[in-house]
Amino acid sequence: MAEIQLRNLSKRWGSFVGVDSFDLTIADEEFLVLLGPSGCGKTTTMRMIAGLEDATEGDIMIGGQRVNDLDPKDRDVAMVFQSYGLYPHLNVYENIRFPLRVRKIDESTHDERVMRAARMVELEDFLHRKPAELSGGQRQRVALARAIVREPNVFLMDEPLSNLDAKLRVSTRAQIKNLSHELKVTTIYVTHDQIEAMTLADRVVVMKRGVVQQVGTPTEIYNRPANVFVAGFIGSPGMNLVEGHVSGGTFEADSVRVEGLEVRDGALTLGFRAEDARLAEPGEPAQIEAPLYTIELLGDATMLTVRAGGALMSVKASKDLRASIGDAVSFVVPPGACHLFDPATEARLDAR
Amino acid sequence: MTARTMRQPLSLRLASGAFLGFWCLLAIFPIAWIAVMSIKSPVDAFAGNFGDVLFGPTTRGNGQGLSVLELLIGGAVVIALARWAFSGLPRHVRRLTPAGWIAIGWLVAGLGYLAVFGLVVFGILPPVLGALDAIAGPLGQPVIGATFEHYYAVWVENAFWRNFVNSLVVTAGVVTISLFVGTLAGYALARSPSNLAFWLLIAALIFRALPHSVLVAGYLPVFINSSDWLAPIFGDAAPTLYGQPYAVIAVLVAINQPFTIWMLRSFFQNIPTELDEAARVDGCTHFQAFRQVIMPVMWPGVITTGLFSFLLAYNDFLVTSLLLDAQNQTMVPAIASYFNRETTTTDQVEAIAAAVSITAPLFVLVMVFQRQIVSGLTAGAVKG
Repeated sequence: MAEIQLRNLSKRWGSFVGVDSFDLTIADEEFLVLLGPSGCGKTTTMRMIAGLEDATEGDIMIGGQRVNDLDPKDRDVAMVFQSYGLYPHLNVYENIRFPLRVRKIDESTHDERVMRAARMVELEDFLHRKPAELSGGQRQRVALARAIVREPNVFLMDEPLSNLDAKLRVSTRAQIKNLSHELKVTTIYVTHDQIEAMTLADRVVVMKRGVVQQVGTPTEIYNRPANVFVAGFIGSPGMNLVEGHVSGGTFEADSVRVEGLEVRDGALTLGFRAEDARLAEPGEPAQIEAPLYTIELLGDATMLTVRAGGALMSVKASKDLRASIGDAVSFVVPPGACHLFDPATEARLDAR
Repeated sequence: MTARTMRQPLSLRLASGAFLGFWCLLAIFPIAWIAVMSIKSPVDAFAGNFGDVLFGPTTRGNGQGLSVLELLIGGAVVIALARWAFSGLPRHVRRLTPAGWIAIGWLVAGLGYLAVFGLVVFGILPPVLGALDAIAGPLGQPVIGATFEHYYAVWVENAFWRNFVNSLVVTAGVVTISLFVGTLAGYALARSPSNLAFWLLIAALIFRALPHSVLVAGYLPVFINSSDWLAPIFGDAAPTLYGQPYAVIAVLVAINQPFTIWMLRSFFQNIPTELDEAARVDGCTHFQAFRQVIMPVMWPGVITTGLFSFLLAYNDFLVTSLLLDAQNQTMVPAIASYFNRETTTTDQVEAIAAAVSITAPLFVLVMVFQRQIVSGLTAGAVKG
């Protein structure tokens, strides 16, 4: 059982900054997701925790012990790799057993532990196959079983689902969530997919260019994004963002006018989520009026997109709605659902 | 069947088939021809008539020949044994050897097979067939002249087996040292992010580019005088390195090592680093990861590189002929000595028999390791 502390952790290659003073305490049994676009330093952070990359600065503490100078094998972590990292010359059974064998764990317990791990990921029927004879999803389950067989202090998962096709990704995601609930082991999970982050995480760390943008529960990150980047990155589609001016509580931009905001005058970036706005009833005063740019049928809803304030803005409407591109549409954006950001610092202006 | 659109016109297929056949004949002719010559008496071997060389009337006239019966039964036995080596033998090896001992199992099986093959072909077949010939009438009469007296002369009378043993010592030494150093160095260079690795590889390439004779010229005086400069360390027991097989091994390794390092490095680069990393997180040290995870995946590369090292050492003439004295000579320079005496035609046919003897192990080696060699060659290491 282990709490992980990262103190002022940095990674630099020459003048290039991979990770910039990362400070975080990860509670025991927590499921933490590192989220960000590629090249944001999330994988580097994880590799530093695993010991595959040396930290330039700062301390990594696992269970109260400083592990910076320990080999990966002595940190008691298990890792799942994006491209599986299975041993091609060993069959599934021996792959799962490998960590027990190299760590010289009592041989008489091997069979039972391997079988239990295989059962957890439903691999009992494939134990005698070689990795080359398995599908992508099965391979990733072998990698999971190899990680859980040893009952380590910490799980590290490096984009484990990104090589799987969409359907398999959903079912394996559910499996990982269930496994982590069952095993109760501190887990760090790296992904660039914000849906994975939202569904799996106890807490999410959003990163960009090596700098932590926001740390919070999925709900916090979704409902109160700390800055423009997080607002645009989280959610599907990301938050609508429009730059404009406020005077006397009224925000104005090209085709956009929102009244009743409690905020200082001046430049402002206004954001709202697609599901927080709606199509205006006939005669109702609207905040956005513009010709329809595109219409997308999602099945459970219809996504309407207009070009306003120099950006594309999407609004969710009823699934029965049909319209043609070019039709004039108007949207109601309740002032209470708006997120306000300072355009200069891109940070959230906490009006509410 | 190929799709109709992909099928070539008959004339093109005939032409390409004919060309391919001609090319194969051209390629195989020298080897097949010396094989035929080596089992004929000198008169037949150097006859002006193509058919005389092939059928050897003089050899037959000496009472040395193969009858139809012998050809059929002997050929069938040899073919059956060879086929069993590729089907039955591997199955039995896999079934009978305990896990983890597979290399030893193959070694034992290979030696055992050689012993059985020799016993059947040279021990049991001749007397049995001789007895059959006597009662077979016309089928028992020799039709093709064939004699193994030259092989007997080469291997037993001229003690060619000594050269064979020397060749074995030299090649085994070169292959073992090259692969041992090459795998370690290749792995390190493949995984090192440092600039130094690049310059080391360039330096290796320059050494490889040097003509071999330059290296030999450099080593020769040092080896001849070695008892002087080794005296401070070994005292009176200081050896003269000149003429010793291990001196040749050192020079051949020096020539060969840059190439093996380059080749193995590119094999290692094809193995994803995630494998090392997974192994290290799973509990291996750097070396354990290399030994338990990387090496088992590397076998095709090691075998291919080993084969190239083997060929270099086995076929080398320059270094071995300059650095070895007469009793330590390997096979290739030993053949040359057949031509240096006042040569008779018998000597020449014996030289040919020796040449065939040298070629045979290469065939066996390539046949045994063909699958690994092909997967090694196609792994992208030695393209172009």
